[in-house]
Amino acid sequence: MTKTLISLAAIAMLLFSISVVAQEDIAPLNADTAMADAMSVQAAKSESRERFRSLDQDVQTLKKEVLDLNRDLFLLEEELLFPANSQVAFFVSMDVGEYFELDSINIKIDGKEVANYLYTARETDALIRGGVHRVHMANLKTGDHELIAVFTGKGPHVRDYRRGATLNFEKGIGAKYLELEITDRVKKQQPEFVIKEWE
Amino acid sequence: MNIRNSMVALLACVFATSILASSGLEGQQAPDFALKSSSGENLRLSEYRGDVVMINFWATWCGPCRQEMPLLDELYARYQRVGFNLLGVNIDDDSRRAMKMIDELGVSFPVLFDSRKEVSELYEVEAMPVTVLIDREGNVRHVHHGYKPGYEQKYLDQIRSLLRE
Repeated sequence: MTKTLISLAAIAMLLFSISVVAQEDIAPLNADTAMADAMSVQAAKSESRERFRSLDQDVQTLKKEVLDLNRDLFLLEEELLFPANSQVAFFVSMDVGEYFELDSINIKIDGKEVANYLYTARETDALIRGGVHRVHMANLKTGDHELIAVFTGKGPHVRDYRRGATLNFEKGIGAKYLELEITDRVKKQQPEFVIKEWE
Repeated sequence: MNIRNSMVALLACVFATSILASSGLEGQQAPDFALKSSSGENLRLSEYRGDVVMINFWATWCGPCRQEMPLLDELYARYQRVGFNLLGVNIDDDSRRAMKMIDELGVSFPVLFDSRKEVSELYEVEAMPVTVLIDREGNVRHVHHGYKPGYEQKYLDQIRSLLRE
């Protein structure tokens, strides 16, 4: 307690002596003081700018960390929910799309409906531009399975069009990727629907 | 001691009622969906991210829906240009009936058909109408069950405040 009091008194003395010295300097050095003030204001400004920049950097780093964390969580969730050994993923791709305007895709595995996806104009546009859409992900036991994909949309001459494609595939150990590909068959002026297995 | 017990019971009761009254979706990310619309296009909720979105679940057999829809259409017409969107979700089995009612009422907002009732299940729709307000970030902010005259003022206030965010 006494120590604190002593140190407080010392600080007060020091402050007092500084103010006395400062007052003595005021009269003859007015221009110098103004200059010093301006410099100190500038220093304060640059310091605050620096602090703001470092704060901004902190925010950016934090944002990046959040994004990284989000990505890691997503991957972890996928690994837990769809272990590689039983994982099957279905992708949709479209080439040209002159003879077919995609509306929806319905996927059945072993007679059971697993996905029914409606495509918006933006999504179809993205597919035509070369995008690949993962329409469904599932866990399947090893062995033989049957996939039926039904494509609905507008065919040639803007007529309602509905076509199915079937694939019997074998699920072994390790992840399986299947691609539902929509292409244009120019000779027949018809769309073509193919299911491919990714090696 | 008895007073304390009864106070605890009362508090528990109030707590339970408040849980029942508030929708479980409020404050959560709005479940995404895509449905066929009255114009023939497929519309997906997530494509409206950045706008304030109102989803109005309705059916042709619901009287209050008939009252409410023209009022909602007025809100849509007024705030559409400043980032407000309204999606009507019809849950009838037969979309033709819904189309007839849209024509009768002359509403202009997009109406989507949820004949498989998947979206109404996602949004825990247990009464008609149900109106859900979603903010620009895609979070459910307000859920209104049913409709009574005067609710439109509540909607107006909430839309304006969400648009200001």
